[in-house]
Amino acid sequence: MIEFRDVSFVHQNGVKALDGVSLTIGDGETVGIVGENGAGKTTLVKHMTGLLKPSSGKVLVDGVETTATSTAQLSRKIGVAFQNPDHQLFSESVKEEMAFALRNFGFPPEVVEQRVSWGLELFELERYKESSPLVLSGGEKKRLTLACILAWDPQMVVLDEPTVGQDSIQKEKLAGTIKMLSSSGKTVVVISHDIEFLWPMQPRVVIMKSGRVIMDGQAPQVMLEKEVLESARVAQPEMVSFYAAIRDRPRAPFVDPLEAARWLGVMKPR
Amino acid sequence: MGNIVEVEGLSFRYPESPRRAVDGFNLEVKEGEVVVLAGPSGCGKSTLLRAVNGLIPHMYSGEYSGEVRVGGKAVKDTSMRDLAQTVGFLFQNPENQIFMFTVERDVAFGLENLGVPRPEMRASVDDAMALLGITPLAQRAPHELSDGQKQRVALAGVLAMKPKLIILDEPTSLLDPKTAAELVELVGKLRSQLGTTFLVVEHRLDLLVRVADKIVVMSEGKKVLEGTPGEVLFGDQAEGYGVLIPAVTKLQKRLARMGIVGTERLLTPSELAEATWRGST
Amino acid sequence: MMWLSGGFVFRRGTSVYHKIDPRVKLLISVLLFTTTLLARYLYELAIVLAFMLAVATIAKVLRRVGRTMLLTVTFSVIIFVLNFVFTRSLETSALYASRFVAIVVSTSLFFITTSPDELEQVMKTFRLPRDVVFAFVTAVRFIPVMMLDTIQIMDAQKSRGLELEKGNILRRVRNMIPVLIPLVVNSVVRSGELAEAMESRAYGAVPKPTSLVQYRARNWDRLVAAVAVVLFAVTAYSFYFVLQGIFP
Repeated sequence: MIEFRDVSFVHQNGVKALDGVSLTIGDGETVGIVGENGAGKTTLVKHMTGLLKPSSGKVLVDGVETTATSTAQLSRKIGVAFQNPDHQLFSESVKEEMAFALRNFGFPPEVVEQRVSWGLELFELERYKESSPLVLSGGEKKRLTLACILAWDPQMVVLDEPTVGQDSIQKEKLAGTIKMLSSSGKTVVVISHDIEFLWPMQPRVVIMKSGRVIMDGQAPQVMLEKEVLESARVAQPEMVSFYAAIRDRPRAPFVDPLEAARWLGVMKPR
Repeated sequence: MGNIVEVEGLSFRYPESPRRAVDGFNLEVKEGEVVVLAGPSGCGKSTLLRAVNGLIPHMYSGEYSGEVRVGGKAVKDTSMRDLAQTVGFLFQNPENQIFMFTVERDVAFGLENLGVPRPEMRASVDDAMALLGITPLAQRAPHELSDGQKQRVALAGVLAMKPKLIILDEPTSLLDPKTAAELVELVGKLRSQLGTTFLVVEHRLDLLVRVADKIVVMSEGKKVLEGTPGEVLFGDQAEGYGVLIPAVTKLQKRLARMGIVGTERLLTPSELAEATWRGST
Repeated sequence: MMWLSGGFVFRRGTSVYHKIDPRVKLLISVLLFTTTLLARYLYELAIVLAFMLAVATIAKVLRRVGRTMLLTVTFSVIIFVLNFVFTRSLETSALYASRFVAIVVSTSLFFITTSPDELEQVMKTFRLPRDVVFAFVTAVRFIPVMMLDTIQIMDAQKSRGLELEKGNILRRVRNMIPVLIPLVVNSVVRSGELAEAMESRAYGAVPKPTSLVQYRARNWDRLVAAVAVVLFAVTAYSFYFVLQGIFP
């Protein structure tokens, strides 16, 4: 669905934010992007919808180069939930806020109405329908921005640090929503520092450092590479650390960290 | 070693709100302790912090009852100027508490406000910057810095005033895990080197439990749990209040129920692996 | 936006000019500004502009100043046209239009070479009240932050299908609303947070706060100031008494 071909990006001030990134994300995949602040994660995401255009290399969405189309067009397919909801909420009511993108994308009024109701219900925001989005709590605002995106039903959803400032109950709900998106065939990309949040999803994990992709594979394998994780300043999931410390002992009962996590009841069974 | 903070029966209701943000809250924090305040969003943690440093009632008015004493002084009757010398507050967003265009001038901000003479101020500023490792950044502009660096600048500004108690409001929320771990280490270092007391509001407990003496859980304005990290996290109630139990702790609980390890203290993954192996052979 | 940021936002520099006491830099800009008003012919204005470009070269900001000049010319065309309509004189209109550009450049020279801290010092010298100076310095310190916020807000709204590049002028103005509202709201929230932080750091505790840094004018600065005044006097004199005779 998205293909990065040897993409490099240099800022106006000369800083190289992306350095020869080649990456393909297929339809329906669930991908976690990790790395320290400044590694290039958000820059990568901005290239997906053409907010930034590569200094060299190409970014293709469904075969079309991002330079050949507009951000508005690309956003129809790729919904990006940025980290700070206060950077986008502005409407008189939550209802209007949800309708904003739908109208921009040219949905007819009856469909707008329908989608707005659906979204409000799904994210338990119905009682705020007529309220100003600005009076919602932090967690509710994050739910609202996500609801706005799902209302236009993009093929792919990108979440940039969705768990910041959320308590455990809100995080669980979010994990549930992501699961629902994956199972309905959507491509989901999550940028997160919260490794414990990503781990149960068992996504494909892409580790970034200094603008490069230094590792790309399935969660159980990637998370075992302690040195790589440390060099990228990424934490290792506690379950994996436990597993790694115990597996080489005689009679360790686990075959892999995934199995260990389920067997020990830290993850729900499949 | 007395109590730095004493909260007795504190209740507070904001003017436009129908219900109390804090309801009959009691808390004692001893000098040199690191106390973590946790709870679901909207439980009143922010309000409580502001009642301790004096923003409530001096900046925010509302229906206030009960007593809060900091360093022996009643917060209600002490000016912000005096309170600021005892209580420092590191707000959640480092950007919105840095005023000056140059780092070292911002670190000096509080001291300038108090009219501290220049030589003394210079020494305090230099000490604070050295303690936080930001001396090389002294002449930089804040907008050029990373979030972690900005936070250190803000913290240096607080430390320069040499408070006995420092309040941290969700200090790790914007940081990546390694930087967050560095901050927690810093808290531990300041506690042991300077004897500073810390009151920290945090969702990400996995890091803080290493240095915390006590965890207090709030819900709907009331205190619902209090105890050592072990007591709170191994107990059954914390999870229901939106407290994130670290994965390794859940594991330890489960293994403890199986009789393989004990629960005297919270173990790290490698410690737990060691204990598990021993316990099962 | 580009014009404002290129022409008036301070950026750190290493030239000799940057190191001059800010009060002297202000003096220089004021003198340049005044000379602009004194020039009554295009060639006199050209001399003033030459001085300004010389200063810009010493300050190593020539490219920025050049760009500001070019962008300002677009505004000054309006002035030219308006003037021409009323005076029917090419020379007068050109003079007024060029004067506008020169005024902008003289002001720009001051702001792009003077840091907010130095601006604060200048304001204190003029005995402005502490609250005013503080509000000003804090506002300036947040300009780069707000510029970044604006970009992020535009990115977020573009990602919701908002078209900021196409459309007629009316549509484009209307499309700025989803960008302006979050910007304003964030500013208000920011002010609230800053107020909390100020209180918590004892702002206003003492009527006369002390200062970590002290700015003292050095002899070098006084020399530069003297040279500037002399040059100004000579130029003004020439405009009024000498050149008049040569170029009637």
